[in-house]
Amino acid sequence: MALDDPHTRPPEPPGAEGPRNGSAAGDVPPFAGDEVLPCGRLLSRVWEQAWDAPPAADLHPVSCLHCREAVEGLATVNAAARALRDEDPPGLHALADRVMDVVRAEARFGRLLPLADPDWDLRIAESAAAKVLRQAADTVPGSRAATCRLIPEGNGTDVRVTMTLAAALDRPLPERVHQVRRSVLHSAGQDLGLTVTAVDITVADVLEPGPTPGPRLPTGGGA
Amino acid sequence: MIERTASPRLGCDLPDRLLVVRAAEGDEDSFAVLVQRHSRSLLTLARCMLGNPQDAEEAVQDAFISAWRHLPEYRHRAEFRTWMYRITVNRCQTMRHRRPPPLPLDTVAEPAAGDAWSQPARTAEQDAVTNALSRALAELDDGQRVCWILREVQGLPYKEIAHVTRTGEQTVRGRLFRARRSLQEAMGPWR
Repeated sequence: MALDDPHTRPPEPPGAEGPRNGSAAGDVPPFAGDEVLPCGRLLSRVWEQAWDAPPAADLHPVSCLHCREAVEGLATVNAAARALRDEDPPGLHALADRVMDVVRAEARFGRLLPLADPDWDLRIAESAAAKVLRQAADTVPGSRAATCRLIPEGNGTDVRVTMTLAAALDRPLPERVHQVRRSVLHSAGQDLGLTVTAVDITVADVLEPGPTPGPRLPTGGGA
Repeated sequence: MIERTASPRLGCDLPDRLLVVRAAEGDEDSFAVLVQRHSRSLLTLARCMLGNPQDAEEAVQDAFISAWRHLPEYRHRAEFRTWMYRITVNRCQTMRHRRPPPLPLDTVAEPAAGDAWSQPARTAEQDAVTNALSRALAELDDGQRVCWILREVQGLPYKEIAHVTRTGEQTVRGRLFRARRSLQEAMGPWR
């Protein structure tokens, strides 16, 4: 049934579509190649609703034979799509290993920082020091470090740390930031042998409780 | 006294945005977590785009390495996942355009029983239907193919698909509709 045929939409009693269905052919612009079903709904919207879940108040797609037939017409495609989605790709670990081999070969060390032993002129890469200091921040419950930059100060071995933090809001932030600063200072001196003159901390994000959300996957296929 | 907890192993509990910030400063371990977290969905995407697992692995590997190199310039305007989808889609499209045209459909052999992508429990008919869909996908217009895969296989919302494909939501929905029509027609013999 062609969309550009003005006679294709059958007459329908007012209100037959139910409240705010938003998908009757007259209410929404069609897509190129769209089709009006005998019930007056656009095929494109019927397919969308089957996937997206229709508004709870719209019972038409459930009761309408034409809509159900339209949705069932995609059953084979949807079943094959589910099969593609569920396939377990081989070589996941090997792929990750290959990627990380290249990444480690292209390591970004950052600047070299002086350790607190000027006699030997020992230095540490900023990225290595930052990793240790982030770990120190992470050991404080309810805090996770984000950025961590280390900047030499003056001509000696002094270093200033600038860190941004994601913190939970279950305790006062000043107390938590104070703990993180102490932990970072302790680790810088004890683990690395850096002379840190200051740790500037900015809480830049809120740490939300609960598991990290994974990629969203569709829960239905509309058929 | 400093209250401490054990450091979370490899940052596996961290949200992407924190891992990305750390990785951008050269923290390889954070990047490794991102790779592990997103490999599966990106491989599935690339496999659907390219039709075979070998090319898919190459595309995803290239995408991750490209991401590592460009992380310092990443401005967080999009979620890391969206950014990775975009890089992978671009890489797949480049690979599709470079490789020789596919064999005619009647010369494409059915996969062998030991095909790496097959699951033991899957029936030959399921494999045949999936292969038919892969071939039908290969016939689609680039834009329609990407939108359909991101929606129907990856389950992305319209807004995120629009970000990945640099279009608007209406364009995405229109492409999706035309892709569904074409695939329905192509899969007709399997109904």
